[in-house]
Amino acid sequence: MFGDKVLDLKAPRKRRLFVTVSPSDYKELMKYLAESLRITHISTITGADVGAKIEVMPHLFGLGVELTVKTMVPKDKPELDSVTDIYPGAVLYEREVHDLLGVVFKGHPDLSRLVLPEEWPEGVYPLRKDYKAQQPEPIRKG
Amino acid sequence: MSKFEVPVGPQHPALKEPENFTFVVDGEHIVEVRPRIGYNHRGIEKAAESRTYIQNLYLMERICGICSVAHTTCYAQNVEYLYEKEIPPRAEYIRVIINELNRIHSHLLWLGVAGHEIGFDTLFMYVWRDREHVMDIIEAMTGNRVNYAINTIGGVRRDVTSETIAKARKVLDILEERTKYYKRVAAAELSLISRTKGIGILKPNDAVRLCAVGPTLRASAIKSDVRKDDPYSAYEEIPFNAVSYDLCDVFSRILVRVDETFEAINIIRYCLDHLPSGPVRLKLPRNPPAGESVSKVEAPRGEDIHYVRSDGTEKPARYKVRAPTLGNIPAVCDMLTSKADHTVNIGDIPIVLASIDPCFSCTDRAIKFVDPWKEKKWIWSHEQLDRYARRKGKQ
Repeated sequence: MFGDKVLDLKAPRKRRLFVTVSPSDYKELMKYLAESLRITHISTITGADVGAKIEVMPHLFGLGVELTVKTMVPKDKPELDSVTDIYPGAVLYEREVHDLLGVVFKGHPDLSRLVLPEEWPEGVYPLRKDYKAQQPEPIRKG
Repeated sequence: MSKFEVPVGPQHPALKEPENFTFVVDGEHIVEVRPRIGYNHRGIEKAAESRTYIQNLYLMERICGICSVAHTTCYAQNVEYLYEKEIPPRAEYIRVIINELNRIHSHLLWLGVAGHEIGFDTLFMYVWRDREHVMDIIEAMTGNRVNYAINTIGGVRRDVTSETIAKARKVLDILEERTKYYKRVAAAELSLISRTKGIGILKPNDAVRLCAVGPTLRASAIKSDVRKDDPYSAYEEIPFNAVSYDLCDVFSRILVRVDETFEAINIIRYCLDHLPSGPVRLKLPRNPPAGESVSKVEAPRGEDIHYVRSDGTEKPARYKVRAPTLGNIPAVCDMLTSKADHTVNIGDIPIVLASIDPCFSCTDRAIKFVDPWKEKKWIWSHEQLDRYARRKGKQ
């Protein structure tokens, strides 16, 4: 039923599957996986900066397959539907991706800070490629 | 009755690691839990992007001090998946041996801490004394007690000798006998049973829904183990049982870990008997081919998952780590929330938090008490909370 919506499908080794879909079909696919195929375990969500876009990759496990769903959102408008209503285990993982890469998950109950400190500036996302780690200034000079 | 908010941390109530949980309490009962993590966030994923694959091996070793070998195994096999190469069988067996020794050490460490959390410090001292045996054998095999530095990309860095094998067999006999004794203690000691039975309930459907992992999940009657479901290293060839219990409480988690210690002892014995001969390391080119890969390992605390993306250069383009504790945070919040059929008390916080064997160095935590109507707040230290928990235990 997702035949023409699957943009790419890869199986690099046994029990590993990578499925690419567009952001508009993302939630529908996740719903299908959870409700029809009963793949209910979400291990984590990886976010990756790939230039002009940010790739969001939930890693699921079920039916003996480690399934990675891949979808890309534009960096200037990084918005994606939240899957927390389907996968309650994804609450912290979506917050982590929001914290470190700035992806806004629409429909997430609480997208507050998870791992970054309170004094961290707004709009600075450390896992984006344009963020360079800096050496802290020494407190005592000389 | 008005509701209070009780913040615990960022000094952890159960372990000496930073973390913050806000508990909303109605009288003595907890009605809501809000976690705040990140006090230990070290930016390892970002750091991994600026280091070469070999340098990252040593970075991954330092994600966690207790299950360091689980992270390096996961990392090394992830990079090996990129090369699409199988490592020598002897190296696979040595990896299993060190991983299982690590599991014994971690489970015994946890059993001691669980004893300490309920005020049973005799158990803590006994268990930690016996844990020294396994630490000795790990040191003899790898050269280190904590960060073993045994794994490398393409195999292991040290071979085991016949002397260390003979020593390991002796130590395994001692450990098996001592673990049997602890199982007897767990089944008969009333103070242990009364502080753990029916405490920290996690029902099977909630465990699945909240994606709990490892012994926490298996103590809720779900037989799920990465070593069985997605076998890596030599686990496909090794006979062993995935342990599960259906009491769904802290007591169940104790039993799962004790039984897993027995299974680990048997796995190591099997590996020592069937250790293949041959090299222990495969030389691989410096840069892995471009591609992406997902690798999973059953760490002592549960499923550890790593993701790598390579662009063909000497440094990874993206490296993602999810340690098992983060997967168990939603589950522990559920355990600490009162339900229609049972209540959770403030005095249960330390042991329930400890029951998932949290490691915040891996994941990245305190308890604050707030009255939203009276604007009243106070913070308890670990000692105060511990004293409170023990007082409740005696009642």
